[in-house]
Amino acid sequence: MKDRIPWLRPVVALAVGAVFFLPLYIALVNVFKQGHLISKEPVSLPIPPTLDNIIAVMRRPDGLYWVSLTNSIIVTSVSIIILTVLSAMLGHYLARSRSRWTRWLMLLLLCGLMIPPQVILLPIVQVLRALHLMLTLPGLILFNVGYYVPFGVFVFTGFIRSVPVELEESAAIDGANRFQVFWRIVFPLLRPATASVLIFLGVWIWNDFIDPLIILGPGLGTTVTTGVYRSIGQYQADFGSLFAMMFLATLPVLLFFLALQKQFVKGLTGGATKG
Amino acid sequence: MAVELAPRPTRRAAPTTRRRKPVLDRIWHFAVFGGPGTLVYVCFVLAPIVVSFGYSLTNYNPFNPPMRYVGLQNYRLLLDDEAFRTSLKITTILTAIVVIVPNVLGLGIAVLLDRRGWLYNALRSVFFVPVVLSSVVVSIIWTRLLDFDGPINQGLRAVGVTNPPGWLSDPNIALYSLGWILSWQMLGFCVVVYLAGLQGVPAELIEAAAIDGAGPVRRFWRVSWPLLAPSLTINTVVLLISAFKIFDHVKIITNGGPGTGTTATIAFTVLQEGFDANHGGYASAEAIIMLIIIATASAVTLKLLQRREVNL
Repeated sequence: MKDRIPWLRPVVALAVGAVFFLPLYIALVNVFKQGHLISKEPVSLPIPPTLDNIIAVMRRPDGLYWVSLTNSIIVTSVSIIILTVLSAMLGHYLARSRSRWTRWLMLLLLCGLMIPPQVILLPIVQVLRALHLMLTLPGLILFNVGYYVPFGVFVFTGFIRSVPVELEESAAIDGANRFQVFWRIVFPLLRPATASVLIFLGVWIWNDFIDPLIILGPGLGTTVTTGVYRSIGQYQADFGSLFAMMFLATLPVLLFFLALQKQFVKGLTGGATKG
Repeated sequence: MAVELAPRPTRRAAPTTRRRKPVLDRIWHFAVFGGPGTLVYVCFVLAPIVVSFGYSLTNYNPFNPPMRYVGLQNYRLLLDDEAFRTSLKITTILTAIVVIVPNVLGLGIAVLLDRRGWLYNALRSVFFVPVVLSSVVVSIIWTRLLDFDGPINQGLRAVGVTNPPGWLSDPNIALYSLGWILSWQMLGFCVVVYLAGLQGVPAELIEAAAIDGAGPVRRFWRVSWPLLAPSLTINTVVLLISAFKIFDHVKIITNGGPGTGTTATIAFTVLQEGFDANHGGYASAEAIIMLIIIATASAVTLKLLQRREVNL
Protein backbone atom coordinates (compact mmCIF):
# COMPACT_ATOMS: atom_id res chain seq x y z
CA MET A 1 0.00 0.00 0.00
CA LYS A 2 1.33 3.45 -0.90
CA ASP A 3 0.98 6.39 1.45
CA ARG A 4 -1.04 9.29 0.08
CA ILE A 5 1.39 11.94 1.37
CA PRO A 6 4.79 10.24 1.03
CA TRP A 7 6.80 12.54 3.33
CA LEU A 8 4.35 12.50 6.21
CA ARG A 9 5.11 9.03 7.59
CA PRO A 10 8.92 9.38 7.87
CA VAL A 11 8.58 12.84 9.44
CA VAL A 12 6.06 11.72 12.06
CA ALA A 13 8.04 8.54 12.73
CA LEU A 14 11.22 10.53 13.24
CA ALA A 15 9.49 13.01 15.55
CA VAL A 16 7.97 10.27 17.71
CA GLY A 17 11.30 8.45 17.79
CA ALA A 18 13.11 11.64 18.83
CA VAL A 19 10.74 12.31 21.74
CA PHE A 20 11.05 8.71 22.84
CA PHE A 21 14.84 8.84 22.61
CA LEU A 22 15.22 12.10 24.55
CA PRO A 23 15.81 10.48 27.99
CA LEU A 24 18.51 8.26 26.55
CA TYR A 25 20.06 11.23 24.79
CA ILE A 26 20.22 13.20 28.02
CA ALA A 27 21.79 10.28 29.86
CA LEU A 28 24.31 9.79 27.09
CA VAL A 29 25.48 13.40 26.69
CA ASN A 30 25.92 13.77 30.43
CA VAL A 31 28.42 10.93 30.48
CA PHE A 32 30.77 13.07 28.42
CA LYS A 33 29.94 16.43 29.95
CA GLN A 34 31.99 18.35 32.50
CA GLY A 35 30.56 18.05 36.00
CA HIS A 36 29.57 21.65 36.58
CA LEU A 37 27.62 21.83 33.31
CA ILE A 38 25.37 18.85 34.02
CA SER A 39 22.80 20.50 36.28
CA LYS A 40 23.05 23.85 34.52
CA GLU A 41 22.44 22.69 30.97
CA PRO A 42 21.46 19.02 31.00
CA VAL A 43 20.16 18.93 27.44
CA SER A 44 23.03 20.62 25.58
CA LEU A 45 25.65 18.68 23.65
CA PRO A 46 28.80 17.93 25.66
CA ILE A 47 31.10 20.65 24.39
CA PRO A 48 33.95 20.35 25.11
CA PRO A 49 33.58 16.58 25.61
CA THR A 50 35.44 14.96 28.47
CA LEU A 51 36.34 11.43 29.52
CA ASP A 52 36.93 12.48 33.13
CA ASN A 53 33.71 10.92 34.40
CA ILE A 54 34.48 7.55 32.87
CA ILE A 55 38.09 7.62 34.05
CA ALA A 56 36.99 8.56 37.57
CA VAL A 57 34.66 5.53 37.73
CA MET A 58 37.30 3.17 36.34
CA ARG A 59 39.93 4.42 38.81
CA ARG A 60 37.81 4.22 41.95
CA PRO A 61 40.04 3.09 44.80
CA ASP A 62 37.59 0.34 45.84
CA GLY A 63 37.43 -0.93 42.25
CA LEU A 64 33.64 -1.12 42.44
CA TYR A 65 33.24 -1.05 38.67
CA TRP A 66 35.77 -3.79 37.94
CA VAL A 67 34.54 -6.03 40.77
CA SER A 68 30.94 -5.63 39.60
CA LEU A 69 31.86 -6.22 35.98
CA THR A 70 33.77 -9.40 36.80
CA ASN A 71 30.93 -10.70 38.97
CA SER A 72 28.32 -9.93 36.33
CA ILE A 73 30.33 -11.61 33.59
CA ILE A 74 30.89 -14.74 35.69
CA VAL A 75 27.30 -15.00 36.91
CA THR A 76 25.76 -14.33 33.52
CA SER A 77 27.99 -16.54 31.41
CA VAL A 78 28.05 -19.53 33.77
CA SER A 79 24.28 -19.29 34.34
CA ILE A 80 23.36 -19.18 30.68
CA ILE A 81 25.70 -22.01 29.71
CA ILE A 82 24.31 -24.31 32.41
CA LEU A 83 20.77 -23.20 31.58
CA THR A 84 21.22 -23.96 27.89
CA VAL A 85 22.56 -27.46 28.53
CA LEU A 86 19.99 -28.38 31.20
CA SER A 87 16.96 -26.92 29.49
CA ALA A 88 17.87 -28.29 26.05
CA MET A 89 18.14 -31.81 27.50
CA LEU A 90 15.01 -31.47 29.63
CA GLY A 91 13.18 -29.91 26.67
CA HIS A 92 14.23 -32.82 24.47
CA TYR A 93 13.05 -35.31 27.05
CA LEU A 94 9.68 -33.58 27.38
CA ALA A 95 9.19 -33.18 23.64
CA ARG A 96 9.99 -36.81 22.85
CA SER A 97 8.69 -38.72 25.84
CA ARG A 98 5.03 -39.58 25.71
CA SER A 99 4.31 -40.79 29.21
CA ARG A 100 1.38 -39.10 30.83
CA TRP A 101 3.27 -37.69 33.76
CA THR A 102 5.61 -35.69 31.53
CA ARG A 103 2.62 -33.58 30.58
CA TRP A 104 2.20 -32.74 34.26
CA LEU A 105 5.87 -31.92 34.53
CA MET A 106 5.56 -29.61 31.52
CA LEU A 107 2.60 -27.86 33.12
CA LEU A 108 4.48 -27.41 36.39
CA LEU A 109 7.41 -25.94 34.49
CA LEU A 110 5.17 -23.54 32.57
CA CYS A 111 3.76 -22.26 35.87
CA GLY A 112 7.30 -21.24 36.70
CA LEU A 113 7.19 -18.65 33.93
CA MET A 114 5.02 -16.32 35.98
CA ILE A 115 6.17 -16.88 39.54
CA PRO A 116 7.40 -13.62 41.04
CA PRO A 117 10.75 -13.92 42.83
CA GLN A 118 9.19 -12.34 45.93
CA VAL A 119 7.21 -15.50 46.56
CA ILE A 120 10.28 -17.73 46.80
CA LEU A 121 13.10 -15.50 48.01
CA LEU A 122 12.50 -15.96 51.73
CA PRO A 123 12.79 -19.78 51.68
CA ILE A 124 15.60 -19.61 49.12
CA VAL A 125 17.71 -17.58 51.50
CA GLN A 126 17.25 -20.42 54.01
CA VAL A 127 18.16 -23.08 51.44
CA LEU A 128 21.27 -21.22 50.34
CA ARG A 129 22.30 -20.57 53.92
CA ALA A 130 21.97 -24.28 54.71
CA LEU A 131 24.16 -25.08 51.69
CA HIS A 132 26.65 -22.37 52.72
CA LEU A 133 26.04 -20.70 49.38
CA MET A 134 24.44 -17.53 50.66
CA LEU A 135 26.43 -14.39 49.69
CA THR A 136 28.36 -16.31 47.04
CA LEU A 137 28.34 -16.29 43.25
CA PRO A 138 27.61 -20.06 42.98
CA GLY A 139 24.51 -19.46 45.11
CA LEU A 140 23.24 -16.80 42.76
CA ILE A 141 24.06 -18.95 39.72
CA LEU A 142 22.20 -21.92 41.18
CA PHE A 143 19.18 -19.74 41.88
CA ASN A 144 19.28 -18.33 38.33
CA VAL A 145 19.37 -21.84 36.87
CA GLY A 146 16.32 -22.93 38.86
CA TYR A 147 14.39 -19.75 38.24
CA TYR A 148 14.98 -19.52 34.48
CA VAL A 149 14.86 -23.22 33.56
CA PRO A 150 11.13 -22.93 32.67
CA PHE A 151 11.87 -20.31 30.02
CA GLY A 152 14.63 -22.42 28.47
CA VAL A 153 12.45 -25.52 28.47
CA PHE A 154 9.55 -23.57 26.97
CA VAL A 155 11.68 -22.39 24.04
CA PHE A 156 13.48 -25.70 23.44
CA THR A 157 10.42 -27.96 23.71
CA GLY A 158 8.54 -25.88 21.18
CA PHE A 159 11.46 -25.97 18.81
CA ILE A 160 12.31 -29.66 19.20
CA ARG A 161 8.74 -30.60 18.31
CA SER A 162 9.38 -29.14 14.86
CA VAL A 163 12.54 -31.25 14.35
CA PRO A 164 11.67 -34.53 12.58
CA VAL A 165 12.08 -37.48 14.91
CA GLU A 166 13.18 -39.70 12.01
CA LEU A 167 16.63 -38.10 12.12
CA GLU A 168 17.11 -39.36 15.64
CA GLU A 169 15.73 -42.78 14.86
CA SER A 170 18.03 -43.35 11.94
CA ALA A 171 21.01 -42.25 14.01
CA ALA A 172 19.95 -44.69 16.72
CA ILE A 173 19.68 -47.48 14.16
CA ASP A 174 23.19 -46.65 13.03
CA GLY A 175 24.31 -47.40 16.57
CA ALA A 176 24.51 -43.99 18.20
CA ASN A 177 23.61 -43.92 21.89
CA ARG A 178 21.29 -41.36 23.41
CA PHE A 179 24.02 -38.86 24.18
CA GLN A 180 25.47 -39.07 20.72
CA VAL A 181 22.04 -38.71 19.16
CA PHE A 182 21.34 -35.63 21.23
CA TRP A 183 24.66 -33.82 21.09
CA ARG A 184 25.70 -34.76 17.53
CA ILE A 185 22.36 -34.76 15.72
CA VAL A 186 19.74 -32.81 17.64
CA PHE A 187 21.62 -30.06 19.42
CA PRO A 188 23.28 -28.62 16.29
CA LEU A 189 19.83 -28.34 14.73
CA LEU A 190 18.56 -26.29 17.67
CA ARG A 191 20.78 -23.31 16.92
CA PRO A 192 17.93 -20.75 16.56
CA ALA A 193 16.38 -21.86 19.86
CA THR A 194 19.78 -21.86 21.56
CA ALA A 195 20.36 -18.33 20.29
CA SER A 196 17.02 -17.14 21.73
CA VAL A 197 17.70 -18.75 25.08
CA LEU A 198 21.24 -17.38 25.32
CA ILE A 199 20.20 -13.89 24.26
CA PHE A 200 17.12 -13.45 26.42
CA LEU A 201 18.47 -15.11 29.52
CA GLY A 202 21.77 -13.30 29.04
CA VAL A 203 20.04 -9.93 29.05
CA TRP A 204 17.68 -10.81 31.90
CA ILE A 205 20.37 -12.18 34.16
CA TRP A 206 22.75 -9.32 33.37
CA ASN A 207 20.03 -6.79 34.22
CA ASP A 208 18.65 -8.66 37.21
CA PHE A 209 18.51 -6.49 40.30
CA ILE A 210 16.50 -7.94 43.15
CA ASP A 211 18.07 -11.41 43.23
CA PRO A 212 21.72 -10.29 43.36
CA LEU A 213 20.67 -7.58 45.83
CA ILE A 214 19.37 -10.18 48.26
CA ILE A 215 21.50 -13.24 47.50
CA LEU A 216 24.87 -11.48 47.20
CA GLY A 217 24.00 -9.22 50.10
CA PRO A 218 25.36 -5.85 51.09
CA GLY A 219 29.08 -6.68 51.06
CA LEU A 220 31.37 -6.04 48.11
CA GLY A 221 29.61 -8.78 46.17
CA THR A 222 27.89 -6.60 43.62
CA THR A 223 26.88 -7.17 40.03
CA VAL A 224 26.78 -4.19 37.70
CA THR A 225 23.15 -3.44 38.59
CA THR A 226 23.56 -3.56 42.34
CA GLY A 227 26.90 -1.77 41.92
CA VAL A 228 25.16 1.13 40.21
CA TYR A 229 22.48 1.05 42.89
CA ARG A 230 25.05 1.23 45.68
CA SER A 231 26.84 4.13 44.03
CA ILE A 232 23.68 6.28 43.88
CA GLY A 233 24.28 7.44 47.44
CA GLN A 234 27.98 8.09 46.96
CA TYR A 235 27.45 10.10 43.79
CA GLN A 236 24.64 12.21 45.23
CA ALA A 237 25.83 15.42 43.59
CA ASP A 238 28.17 13.92 41.03
CA PHE A 239 25.79 13.05 38.22
CA GLY A 240 28.64 12.80 35.73
CA SER A 241 30.17 9.86 37.57
CA LEU A 242 26.79 8.21 38.19
CA PHE A 243 25.91 8.39 34.51
CA ALA A 244 29.38 7.17 33.56
CA MET A 245 28.95 4.19 35.88
CA MET A 246 25.60 3.39 34.28
CA PHE A 247 27.04 3.81 30.82
CA LEU A 248 29.89 1.40 31.56
CA ALA A 249 27.48 -1.07 33.15
CA THR A 250 25.16 -0.96 30.16
CA LEU A 251 27.76 -0.92 27.39
CA PRO A 252 28.28 -4.71 27.19
CA VAL A 253 24.57 -5.49 26.96
CA LEU A 254 24.01 -2.64 24.51
CA LEU A 255 26.78 -3.84 22.18
CA PHE A 256 25.42 -7.36 22.51
CA PHE A 257 21.98 -6.10 21.47
CA LEU A 258 23.25 -4.04 18.54
CA ALA A 259 25.28 -6.99 17.26
CA LEU A 260 22.43 -9.52 17.58
CA GLN A 261 19.40 -7.33 16.83
CA LYS A 262 18.04 -9.69 14.19
CA GLN A 263 18.09 -12.67 16.56
CA PHE A 264 16.42 -10.57 19.25
CA VAL A 265 13.53 -9.73 17.00
CA LYS A 266 13.31 -13.28 15.69
CA GLY A 267 13.24 -14.68 19.20
CA LEU A 268 10.40 -12.40 20.20
CA THR A 269 8.38 -12.81 17.06
CA GLY A 270 8.74 -16.56 16.86
CA GLY A 271 6.43 -16.65 19.85
CA ALA A 272 4.23 -13.80 18.71
CA THR A 273 3.23 -15.21 15.36
CA LYS A 274 2.65 -18.69 16.69
CA GLY A 275 0.60 -17.34 19.58
CA MET B 1 20.69 -50.01 25.17
CA ALA B 2 17.39 -50.90 23.60
CA VAL B 3 16.92 -49.60 20.15
CA GLU B 4 13.44 -49.22 18.85
CA LEU B 5 13.32 -50.85 15.44
CA ALA B 6 9.58 -50.90 14.93
CA PRO B 7 8.38 -47.96 12.82
CA ARG B 8 7.13 -45.23 15.07
CA PRO B 9 3.40 -44.64 14.89
CA THR B 10 2.31 -41.19 13.80
CA ARG B 11 1.97 -38.54 16.46
CA ARG B 12 -1.78 -38.85 16.92
CA ALA B 13 -1.84 -42.63 17.15
CA ALA B 14 -2.88 -44.05 20.49
CA PRO B 15 0.20 -44.55 22.64
CA THR B 16 -0.98 -48.01 23.70
CA THR B 17 -0.19 -49.40 20.24
CA ARG B 18 3.45 -48.41 20.67
CA ARG B 19 5.88 -50.88 22.09
CA ARG B 20 7.08 -49.39 25.36
CA LYS B 21 10.66 -49.42 26.44
CA PRO B 22 11.66 -51.25 29.64
CA VAL B 23 10.95 -49.34 32.83
CA LEU B 24 14.57 -49.14 33.95
CA ASP B 25 15.60 -47.68 30.64
CA ARG B 26 12.91 -45.03 30.85
CA ILE B 27 13.91 -44.08 34.37
CA TRP B 28 17.54 -43.86 33.28
CA HIS B 29 16.51 -41.68 30.33
CA PHE B 30 14.68 -39.26 32.62
CA ALA B 31 17.41 -39.26 35.24
CA VAL B 32 20.04 -38.27 32.71
CA PHE B 33 18.13 -35.91 30.43
CA GLY B 34 15.35 -34.51 32.57
CA GLY B 35 16.71 -35.03 36.05
CA PRO B 36 19.20 -32.20 36.57
CA GLY B 37 16.92 -29.45 35.24
CA THR B 38 13.91 -30.75 37.13
CA LEU B 39 15.89 -31.11 40.33
CA VAL B 40 17.16 -27.52 40.34
CA TYR B 41 13.69 -26.27 39.44
CA VAL B 42 12.08 -28.25 42.24
CA CYS B 43 14.68 -27.16 44.80
CA PHE B 44 14.69 -23.49 43.90
CA VAL B 45 11.13 -22.80 42.78
CA LEU B 46 8.57 -25.47 43.66
CA ALA B 47 9.81 -26.41 47.10
CA PRO B 48 10.22 -22.76 48.15
CA ILE B 49 6.60 -22.09 47.18
CA VAL B 50 5.48 -24.93 49.43
CA VAL B 51 7.77 -23.70 52.20
CA SER B 52 6.42 -20.17 51.75
CA PHE B 53 2.93 -21.49 52.20
CA GLY B 54 4.13 -23.29 55.31
CA TYR B 55 5.69 -20.09 56.68
CA SER B 56 2.46 -18.22 56.03
CA LEU B 57 0.75 -20.41 58.65
CA THR B 58 3.32 -19.52 61.31
CA ASN B 59 4.67 -16.51 63.12
CA TYR B 60 8.10 -17.14 61.52
CA ASN B 61 10.66 -14.46 62.27
CA PRO B 62 14.33 -15.36 61.77
CA PHE B 63 15.39 -13.14 64.68
CA ASN B 64 12.63 -14.09 67.07
CA PRO B 65 12.39 -17.88 67.43
CA PRO B 66 10.71 -20.21 68.23
CA MET B 67 8.43 -20.59 65.23
CA ARG B 68 4.82 -21.32 66.16
CA TYR B 69 1.88 -22.58 64.11
CA VAL B 70 -0.80 -19.88 64.01
CA GLY B 71 -3.21 -21.27 61.42
CA LEU B 72 -4.86 -18.73 59.19
CA GLN B 73 -4.20 -15.85 61.55
CA ASN B 74 -1.84 -14.09 59.12
CA TYR B 75 -4.45 -14.19 56.39
CA ARG B 76 -7.11 -12.88 58.75
CA LEU B 77 -4.82 -10.02 59.76
CA LEU B 78 -4.16 -9.26 56.10
CA LEU B 79 -7.83 -8.60 55.43
CA ASP B 80 -7.82 -5.80 58.01
CA ASP B 81 -4.41 -4.45 57.07
CA GLU B 82 -4.90 -0.99 55.60
CA ALA B 83 -1.36 -0.93 54.19
CA PHE B 84 -1.88 -4.23 52.39
CA ARG B 85 -5.18 -3.12 50.89
CA THR B 86 -3.53 0.09 49.72
CA SER B 87 -0.73 -1.89 48.13
CA LEU B 88 -3.29 -4.03 46.29
CA LYS B 89 -4.98 -0.89 44.99
CA ILE B 90 -1.68 0.67 43.95
CA THR B 91 -0.59 -2.49 42.18
CA THR B 92 -3.92 -2.63 40.35
CA ILE B 93 -3.63 0.98 39.16
CA LEU B 94 -0.03 0.50 38.11
CA THR B 95 -0.81 -2.75 36.30
CA ALA B 96 -3.73 -1.12 34.47
CA ILE B 97 -1.48 1.71 33.29
CA VAL B 98 1.30 -0.63 32.23
CA VAL B 99 -1.04 -2.98 30.38
CA ILE B 100 -2.92 -0.23 28.54
CA VAL B 101 -0.39 2.51 27.72
CA PRO B 102 2.34 0.45 26.01
CA ASN B 103 -0.29 -1.65 24.22
CA VAL B 104 -2.03 1.41 22.75
CA LEU B 105 1.08 3.47 21.99
CA GLY B 106 2.93 0.36 20.80
CA LEU B 107 0.18 -0.46 18.32
CA GLY B 108 0.17 3.12 17.00
CA ILE B 109 3.94 3.20 16.62
CA ALA B 110 3.99 -0.24 15.00
CA VAL B 111 1.46 0.93 12.40
CA LEU B 112 3.63 4.00 11.84
CA LEU B 113 6.80 1.93 11.39
CA ASP B 114 5.20 -0.78 9.27
CA ARG B 115 7.25 0.01 6.13
CA ARG B 116 10.52 -1.26 4.70
CA GLY B 117 13.73 0.73 4.70
CA TRP B 118 16.68 1.60 6.91
CA LEU B 119 14.86 4.45 8.66
CA TYR B 120 12.13 2.18 10.00
CA ASN B 121 14.61 -0.54 10.99
CA ALA B 122 16.71 2.02 12.86
CA LEU B 123 13.67 3.44 14.65
CA ARG B 124 12.54 -0.02 15.64
CA SER B 125 15.92 -0.53 17.31
CA VAL B 126 15.65 2.82 19.07
CA PHE B 127 12.30 1.84 20.57
CA PHE B 128 13.68 -1.49 21.67
CA VAL B 129 16.75 -0.13 23.49
CA PRO B 130 14.99 0.51 26.85
CA VAL B 131 13.78 -3.10 26.86
CA VAL B 132 17.37 -4.34 27.08
CA LEU B 133 18.36 -1.70 29.63
CA SER B 134 18.46 -2.61 33.28
CA SER B 135 15.61 -1.40 35.46
CA VAL B 136 18.25 0.28 37.63
CA VAL B 137 19.54 2.36 34.73
CA VAL B 138 16.07 3.32 33.55
CA SER B 139 15.08 4.26 37.08
CA ILE B 140 18.09 6.50 37.62
CA ILE B 141 17.70 8.25 34.26
CA TRP B 142 14.05 9.04 34.97
CA THR B 143 14.66 10.01 38.60
CA ARG B 144 17.06 12.62 37.27
CA LEU B 145 14.69 13.75 34.48
CA LEU B 146 11.67 14.08 36.74
CA ASP B 147 13.53 15.69 39.61
CA PHE B 148 11.85 18.87 40.85
CA ASP B 149 14.74 20.87 39.41
CA GLY B 150 15.48 18.38 36.64
CA PRO B 151 15.49 18.92 32.88
CA ILE B 152 11.76 18.43 32.40
CA ASN B 153 10.76 21.03 34.96
CA GLN B 154 13.53 23.34 33.72
CA GLY B 155 11.93 23.08 30.30
CA LEU B 156 8.46 23.71 31.71
CA ARG B 157 9.67 26.78 33.58
CA ALA B 158 11.37 28.03 30.44
CA VAL B 159 8.07 27.97 28.57
CA GLY B 160 6.33 29.86 31.37
CA VAL B 161 4.92 27.24 33.74
CA THR B 162 5.60 28.94 37.06
CA ASN B 163 4.71 26.05 39.31
CA PRO B 164 5.61 22.73 37.63
CA PRO B 165 4.50 19.58 39.47
CA GLY B 166 6.82 17.54 41.65
CA TRP B 167 6.56 14.46 39.45
CA LEU B 168 8.07 12.14 42.01
CA SER B 169 7.58 14.12 45.21
CA ASP B 170 3.83 14.80 44.99
CA PRO B 171 1.96 11.83 46.53
CA ASN B 172 -0.91 12.31 44.07
CA ILE B 173 1.32 12.17 40.99
CA ALA B 174 4.21 9.86 41.85
CA LEU B 175 2.29 6.66 41.09
CA TYR B 176 1.37 7.89 37.61
CA SER B 177 4.95 9.01 36.94
CA LEU B 178 6.02 5.51 37.87
CA GLY B 179 3.43 4.07 35.50
CA TRP B 180 4.75 6.26 32.73
CA ILE B 181 8.37 5.23 33.34
CA LEU B 182 7.42 1.55 33.21
CA SER B 183 5.37 2.12 30.07
CA TRP B 184 8.31 3.87 28.43
CA GLN B 185 10.53 0.91 29.17
CA MET B 186 8.04 -1.72 27.94
CA LEU B 187 6.87 0.18 24.88
CA GLY B 188 9.55 -1.21 22.55
CA PHE B 189 8.55 -4.76 23.35
CA CYS B 190 4.98 -4.08 22.20
CA VAL B 191 6.19 -2.26 19.09
CA VAL B 192 8.33 -5.19 17.99
CA VAL B 193 5.63 -7.78 18.66
CA TYR B 194 2.94 -5.74 16.87
CA LEU B 195 5.27 -5.05 13.94
CA ALA B 196 5.85 -8.77 13.52
CA GLY B 197 2.10 -9.30 13.64
CA LEU B 198 1.47 -6.61 11.04
CA GLN B 199 4.11 -8.06 8.76
CA GLY B 200 2.36 -11.40 9.02
CA VAL B 201 -0.91 -10.00 7.64
CA PRO B 202 -1.14 -11.26 4.03
CA ALA B 203 -0.87 -8.35 1.56
CA GLU B 204 -3.56 -9.95 -0.64
CA LEU B 205 -6.14 -9.48 2.10
CA ILE B 206 -5.34 -5.78 2.43
CA GLU B 207 -5.41 -5.32 -1.34
CA ALA B 208 -8.67 -7.20 -1.69
CA ALA B 209 -10.23 -4.96 0.96
CA ALA B 210 -8.87 -1.89 -0.84
CA ILE B 211 -10.40 -3.05 -4.13
CA ASP B 212 -13.69 -3.54 -2.34
CA GLY B 213 -13.50 0.14 -1.42
CA ALA B 214 -12.36 0.01 2.20
CA GLY B 215 -10.35 3.06 3.30
CA PRO B 216 -7.16 2.78 5.36
CA VAL B 217 -8.99 3.03 8.69
CA ARG B 218 -11.51 0.34 7.85
CA ARG B 219 -8.79 -1.84 6.33
CA PHE B 220 -6.94 -1.66 9.61
CA TRP B 221 -9.86 -2.37 11.95
CA ARG B 222 -11.58 -4.96 9.78
CA VAL B 223 -8.58 -6.84 8.34
CA SER B 224 -5.34 -6.22 10.24
CA TRP B 225 -6.65 -5.83 13.79
CA PRO B 226 -8.42 -9.20 14.04
CA LEU B 227 -5.29 -10.86 12.69
CA LEU B 228 -3.21 -9.12 15.36
CA ALA B 229 -5.02 -11.06 18.09
CA PRO B 230 -2.01 -13.30 18.90
CA SER B 231 0.21 -10.21 19.26
CA LEU B 232 -2.33 -8.63 21.59
CA THR B 233 -2.40 -11.81 23.66
CA ILE B 234 1.38 -11.96 24.02
CA ASN B 235 1.73 -8.28 24.85
CA THR B 236 -1.08 -8.20 27.37
CA VAL B 237 -0.01 -11.32 29.24
CA VAL B 238 3.66 -10.33 29.33
CA LEU B 239 2.83 -6.79 30.46
CA LEU B 240 0.39 -8.08 33.06
CA ILE B 241 2.88 -10.47 34.61
CA SER B 242 5.78 -8.03 34.58
CA ALA B 243 3.70 -5.10 35.86
CA PHE B 244 2.30 -7.15 38.70
CA LYS B 245 5.71 -8.00 40.12
CA ILE B 246 7.24 -4.54 39.79
CA PHE B 247 9.78 -4.04 42.52
CA ASP B 248 13.03 -2.60 41.15
CA HIS B 249 11.63 0.72 39.93
CA VAL B 250 9.68 1.32 43.13
CA LYS B 251 12.68 0.50 45.28
CA ILE B 252 15.02 2.81 43.36
CA ILE B 253 12.79 5.70 42.33
CA THR B 254 10.43 6.27 45.25
CA ASN B 255 11.23 3.60 47.85
CA GLY B 256 7.49 3.29 48.45
CA GLY B 257 6.92 7.00 49.07
CA PRO B 258 6.40 9.92 48.92
CA GLY B 259 4.49 9.90 52.18
CA THR B 260 3.58 6.46 53.48
CA GLY B 261 3.13 3.74 50.91
CA THR B 262 1.80 5.90 48.08
CA THR B 263 3.75 3.81 45.58
CA ALA B 264 4.32 0.62 47.58
CA THR B 265 3.32 -2.24 45.27
CA ILE B 266 2.62 -5.74 46.61
CA ALA B 267 6.01 -6.98 45.46
CA PHE B 268 7.60 -4.10 47.35
CA THR B 269 5.53 -4.66 50.49
CA VAL B 270 6.30 -8.38 50.57
CA LEU B 271 10.04 -7.80 50.53
CA GLN B 272 9.84 -5.01 53.07
CA GLU B 273 7.86 -7.14 55.50
CA GLY B 274 10.05 -10.16 54.85
CA PHE B 275 13.56 -8.74 54.76
CA ASP B 276 13.43 -5.35 56.43
CA ALA B 277 10.84 -5.94 59.15
CA ASN B 278 11.64 -9.69 59.37
CA HIS B 279 7.97 -10.61 59.61
CA GLY B 280 8.60 -13.81 57.67
CA GLY B 281 5.24 -15.46 58.33
CA TYR B 282 3.21 -12.39 57.51
CA ALA B 283 5.26 -11.61 54.39
CA SER B 284 4.78 -15.19 53.21
CA ALA B 285 1.02 -14.85 53.55
CA GLU B 286 1.19 -11.69 51.42
CA ALA B 287 3.36 -13.50 48.89
CA ILE B 288 0.90 -16.40 48.65
CA ILE B 289 -2.00 -13.99 48.06
CA MET B 290 0.12 -12.29 45.41
CA LEU B 291 0.81 -15.62 43.71
CA ILE B 292 -2.89 -16.53 43.69
CA ILE B 293 -3.87 -13.19 42.16
CA ILE B 294 -1.21 -13.26 39.46
CA ALA B 295 -1.97 -16.88 38.54
CA THR B 296 -5.71 -16.24 38.29
CA ALA B 297 -5.34 -12.95 36.45
CA SER B 298 -2.95 -14.29 33.84
CA ALA B 299 -4.90 -17.52 33.29
CA VAL B 300 -8.18 -15.63 32.83
CA THR B 301 -6.61 -13.04 30.52
CA LEU B 302 -4.94 -15.72 28.45
CA LYS B 303 -8.20 -17.66 28.04
CA LEU B 304 -10.23 -14.56 27.15
CA LEU B 305 -7.73 -13.25 24.63
CA GLN B 306 -7.03 -16.59 22.99
CA ARG B 307 -10.72 -16.98 22.28
CA ARG B 308 -10.45 -13.98 19.94
CA GLU B 309 -7.65 -15.48 17.89
CA VAL B 310 -8.62 -16.64 14.42
CA ASN B 311 -6.83 -19.14 12.25
CA LEU B 312 -6.09 -18.19 8.68
